[in-house]
Amino acid sequence: MVRVLSMAVLATALLLTGCASKVDYGDAQARETVTTDFGSTDLQMIAAKMVDDMMVFPPVVDMTRDRRPVMFVDRVKNKTSEHIDTESITDTIQSKLINSGKFRFVDMSVVDRVREQLEYQQDSGMVDQSTAAQMGRQVGAEFMLYGNLSSIVKRDDSTKDVYYKFTLKLLNIQSGIIEWSGEKEIRKTRKRSLFGL
Amino acid sequence: MIWWFTRHALLCLLGAALLSGCATRSLFQPYPDQARDWKNGLGAGAAPVALLDKGVDSADGVLYLQELGRVEQLNGDIDTSRSAFARAIDHYRDTDEQARLRASGLAANAGALLVNDNARPYVAPDYERIYSHAYQALNYWRQGDVTGTAVELRAAANEQRVAANRRDREIAEAQKEADQADLDTERFDGYFAGLDAAAGDVKASFQNAWTFYLSALFWEAHGEYNDALVDYKKALEIHPGSDLLKEDVTRVSRAQDGHRPRGQGMVAVLYEQGYVPPRRELSLPIPTIHGLFAVAFPTYSPADKPRPAPLTVTAQGASARTEVLTDVGGLAAKHLKEQLPGMLVRQTLRATGKYNLQKKANDDFGPVGALLTQLFNLVSERADLRAWLSLPAYGQATRLLLPPGEQRLQLSTPGGGASLTVPVVEGGLTVIHVVSLPDGLITRVLPVQEGPL
Repeated sequence: MVRVLSMAVLATALLLTGCASKVDYGDAQARETVTTDFGSTDLQMIAAKMVDDMMVFPPVVDMTRDRRPVMFVDRVKNKTSEHIDTESITDTIQSKLINSGKFRFVDMSVVDRVREQLEYQQDSGMVDQSTAAQMGRQVGAEFMLYGNLSSIVKRDDSTKDVYYKFTLKLLNIQSGIIEWSGEKEIRKTRKRSLFGL
Repeated sequence: MIWWFTRHALLCLLGAALLSGCATRSLFQPYPDQARDWKNGLGAGAAPVALLDKGVDSADGVLYLQELGRVEQLNGDIDTSRSAFARAIDHYRDTDEQARLRASGLAANAGALLVNDNARPYVAPDYERIYSHAYQALNYWRQGDVTGTAVELRAAANEQRVAANRRDREIAEAQKEADQADLDTERFDGYFAGLDAAAGDVKASFQNAWTFYLSALFWEAHGEYNDALVDYKKALEIHPGSDLLKEDVTRVSRAQDGHRPRGQGMVAVLYEQGYVPPRRELSLPIPTIHGLFAVAFPTYSPADKPRPAPLTVTAQGASARTEVLTDVGGLAAKHLKEQLPGMLVRQTLRATGKYNLQKKANDDFGPVGALLTQLFNLVSERADLRAWLSLPAYGQATRLLLPPGEQRLQLSTPGGGASLTVPVVEGGLTVIHVVSLPDGLITRVLPVQEGPL
């Protein structure tokens, strides 16, 4: 009886330690397939595809041979049925484009704070005017990046199928012409397992 | 030896009962009694949520999360409401993605077989899921997050579509199960006549014209006439006789062709009346091989259902009366009716099991054992009365076209009225969300929607 009890205690102890939670670092680029929801891998796949497509598109190659055009990111509309931070996708795309050394960007999301700083430099009397940034010297953007993220979700008792389509367009602000457009499709399917805990 | 065995069997039984008692709170305290706690004072803006906070971590967590989301929304704490609904929605996803046969599910079912259906973890029916998304959309709307609102409205529409696909198959399966168990479900029809009356003219347990109307208004205000038309038409499909919806369909069809009304904005009143009636317990004689055995069954009584009472809104000489778009009590009754065949199968198994237990106790322990098991059977025989109870009895709506500017509106319901000033924007939409509860009338003016998404 005593032996049985001690075995039981041992088994419980093993189980308990097995369940103890632990923290670990993972590879940020690793494929994430926890659920069919929009995830890090989708974001990375979209950003990589968009940047690759754009950089090899012949007119874009021509355009960036001798100069670095200035762009701004408008926004990507979230037309899915999930709460997705589309700004995070465009941020990644923007970083990749800047790091390629072919494009420059102006950031419309900080305009107010920049104006505040300019006014401080100009009007506060605290800043040496020989070093103060001048009003009206900013560079106008030549191109605008914008797009859509839409999804189609189908679900029944055993399967869930999610299709995402990300579209990004590069528009010449002066001429109104779309110079380039890229698309990335992602399909994810989840089958429910028959047995589980 | 037999003594030893039966004693242990009884101990196991008690243990199972106790354990499942910890797992779900509704096992021995009927859910509608618990719900009285937070429904009190809800209209006054300060409903107690302590019981709900405790409940969210139980096996019925999703039910308490839904209640918490709704109660906090009416209390005016939008952040808490949003996180509660977000957790409930995560829960739906987890349920959808779970393995179809689960060890823990089997254990809960075994517990339910021994005690009652309350031992099964609560699974939110489709009409409750749709409401969660719609209320979450209202939360985002109130916080001025247009994209978030659009996302939740799309999710609500998705749920309705999935439910429509799933429903036919599920009913057929439940009926097949009942047939296999050699159970004639029609012989009980007389007992559930009240259920049919409570379901009224609801055709399917998930069709919610009120949420379609909500999303149609939103799409229309943002110039998404295609989406708006689809949703108005779906609502019209549910209420083919409604003049309100026919006018909406005509207006949006014309807008699609470029004929948009100039010089006026839309004011819509989304009116939620009262509380959805709770389930009632019904004693039903179930035939077993040993004769009839009385078991407790949930049902809805048409007597609990309030009559629909419209709200009248007047402004600048114009006036409009709300129409009933969703009969939530009807949806709930219809849902229960769809569940009946499966419940009858489980109840029959349970009745047989309980009878056997009682007989065995009588044979092995004599009168004392028999008395104890009889007592257990009596106490444990409780119907599953769980359902989202802070939902309204009726979802109603109407709308007015008014000239732009600040407009004074008069709302009147049988339970009291309110007058308020709302902004009206040309081509925009101002929604007033009105909830009438026994404790008072809650009115909230949502941020004006206009311009492209």
